[in-house]
Amino acid sequence: MSNDTKIYLDYNATTPVDPKVVDAMLPYFTDKFGNASSHNHTFGWEAEEAVELAREQVADLIGATANEIYFTSGATEAVNLAIRGLCEANRDKGNHIITCVSEHKAVLDTCESLEQDGYRVTYLQVDASGSINLRELEEAITDKTILVSLMHANNEIGTIHPLKEISQITKSKNIPFLSDATQSVGKIPVDVQELDVDMIAFSSHKLYGPKGVGALYISKDDKPEISPILTGGGQEKGLRPGTLNVPAIVGFGKACEICADQMESDSKRLRLLRDKLESELAEIDGVLFNGASENRLPYMTSISFENIDGSNLLRRLKNLAVSQGSACTSATQKPSHVLKAIGHSDELAFSTIRVGLGRFTTEDEIEHAICDIKEIIPQLRLLTQ
Amino acid sequence: MREIEAIISSYDEARNEGHKCVLATVVHVEGSSYRAAGARMLVDEYGFMTGAISGGCLEGDALRKALLALDQNRSKLITYDTSDEDDAVIGVQLGCNGIIQVLFEPIDPEKQNNPIELLRKAEHADQPVALVSLFNLDKTKHQAGIVLLVDEQSNITGQIDDQALCEKITSVARNSLKKRINHFGEYRSTKDTQHAFVEVISPPPRLVLVGAGNDAQVLSRMAEPLGWDIIVADGRPTHANKKRFNSCQVIVTNPGELLDNIEIHEQTAFVLMTHNYNYDLDVLKLLLNEEQVPYIGILGPNKKYQRMLDDLEEDGITLSEEQYSKIYAPVGLQLGAENPAEIGLSILSEIQGVLTDSDIRSLRELEGSIHNKENRKFREISL
Repeated sequence: MSNDTKIYLDYNATTPVDPKVVDAMLPYFTDKFGNASSHNHTFGWEAEEAVELAREQVADLIGATANEIYFTSGATEAVNLAIRGLCEANRDKGNHIITCVSEHKAVLDTCESLEQDGYRVTYLQVDASGSINLRELEEAITDKTILVSLMHANNEIGTIHPLKEISQITKSKNIPFLSDATQSVGKIPVDVQELDVDMIAFSSHKLYGPKGVGALYISKDDKPEISPILTGGGQEKGLRPGTLNVPAIVGFGKACEICADQMESDSKRLRLLRDKLESELAEIDGVLFNGASENRLPYMTSISFENIDGSNLLRRLKNLAVSQGSACTSATQKPSHVLKAIGHSDELAFSTIRVGLGRFTTEDEIEHAICDIKEIIPQLRLLTQ
Repeated sequence: MREIEAIISSYDEARNEGHKCVLATVVHVEGSSYRAAGARMLVDEYGFMTGAISGGCLEGDALRKALLALDQNRSKLITYDTSDEDDAVIGVQLGCNGIIQVLFEPIDPEKQNNPIELLRKAEHADQPVALVSLFNLDKTKHQAGIVLLVDEQSNITGQIDDQALCEKITSVARNSLKKRINHFGEYRSTKDTQHAFVEVISPPPRLVLVGAGNDAQVLSRMAEPLGWDIIVADGRPTHANKKRFNSCQVIVTNPGELLDNIEIHEQTAFVLMTHNYNYDLDVLKLLLNEEQVPYIGILGPNKKYQRMLDDLEEDGITLSEEQYSKIYAPVGLQLGAENPAEIGLSILSEIQGVLTDSDIRSLRELEGSIHNKENRKFREISL
């Protein structure tokens, strides 16, 4: 590996499309270009068949049945559909939503926008590991609560919320529970039956599928009422109208199939590499690993370096494609809301990188990353003194 | 005409015209559905359908899937989940709550033992046979389809390439035949998993009307849509003739030779309705020795039946419990029937109940589901 080779370690932001996924998608751009809603000819039927197969592949990965999967343009849209659609349909039942300060912006911004419309939102706090207190959740529930929305794995620090325990609480109070599982599906086993969540939002491009497609899982048992937020051609049982993005859906399905097959072995190998990275970097003075020690995604790490010049951090680590703060907010130079929530100062938040490993990460790349980081951090520290 | 018979006849017609066809078969049902595994439909390349796989809710989509299978020239398995009330594909909310697996097979007329030819053989068999449909719940895998027919003598028609699988399925089919129960199996080898539906197809029930009066004429017409084989026997050529019974096999005979030309199987029901006491009695005497016959109905009041029993007694014939149990006299169910058609309805209902070993009463008194759901689970079988 040459010294200038870029090493991609931002798999939590997005992943390359698996070549097998690309192969599966290609015919649906040209030969099999039909509209899945065209019911009058084979072009349409073929497209519909491909979509239904993909729906099964996606469902299989999370232990759902195909008719519980609704395709969207991505996790953000799935989250919007679930939250806004549920609020719209349940206006008469209440106006209170419970979520958490460390959620992804897709959830937080949607909730904030609903606050403008008269909904009341409780934002649960997290401790230094990014975990919520289940008692606080229970105490926050009122007779006006119509939705609990808590993510599965945190996109910045990897902390995993105990969905099963949360759903026990929401089920006992009969409140629909949505989980943004964008970071966990495809990386760790997610079984909707076992976790007993009512809705799950996730995305294709985080699991080696194409961008521009995601899904909302809605349980058919105690199915929550959701109104569509778009109107149109009645696709996805009227819940998400709009011509289906057939090639992307096909790719999403294939990517899910591959994940189901490969997730365990990927996870084993990458966890070892992640652990190696962490144990090597632990040797640096003033290094902190963020997130829960146990309930954490297996192959990402969020690392904070004390007393360094954070503004120069990424520029100096120029060959490492890692992120500072979360990818979706990195366009703005604000300290990450998640890192702030777990108690970091602005300076420490800026001195934090997220390293995300993935299917195509090699041991060689991790060794390079270790060398680079070990070399650069002390230099940055010198600069601040 | 039975569904299978109608399908074969439509296929032959389509083939003569040079039209291609797809056979759709319900190969598994989980939960409830209107039609059980074994329901079939033939679709030709112009979309004409014969038979049915549901009460009507799936046919629209199934038609498109059939034509797609034809276009791709590839068998496919489609899952219909009728538990989803919002599903626009199925559309109507029937309150069904089932997951239905339907196999679509384009038929290659050049192939010797294609699914239709195996069905034809099953339909023409004079004994129950087991028909094997091989499929894979993993839809990305090859769907082999209707591949094998096994009879009670273990004669096999058709083939399964995988030797181990073939042997296992043949043995399951033999066992199914013995028990007269369909079987759903998941066959696992180190290489892959296959699913098979073993369907026992019995010859249609045979209804022998002893007596060719006007009431028998009405009864025979009413029985025709059931798809049963109907035989009419009487001593009077003026009554027993093709003109009066055009869809039946007609036998003009004296009572003593009545059984000479009738092949009796385990689903053969007799109704004695000559209105001629001695003729009926002579036939009853013969039938008492036919162990396979499950149903002997005798038209007329109980008084007539008692007189028959007395006369038999005088001839030294005492009925065993088993013989008593299959005599239905006076014939028919209590339905307040007065005219010949009403009486026909009451007789046919009774026969249907007896042949299917059913507890005859209103469905509203039934607790649980209408159709027997035992033996519907896939049995795991290792190869």
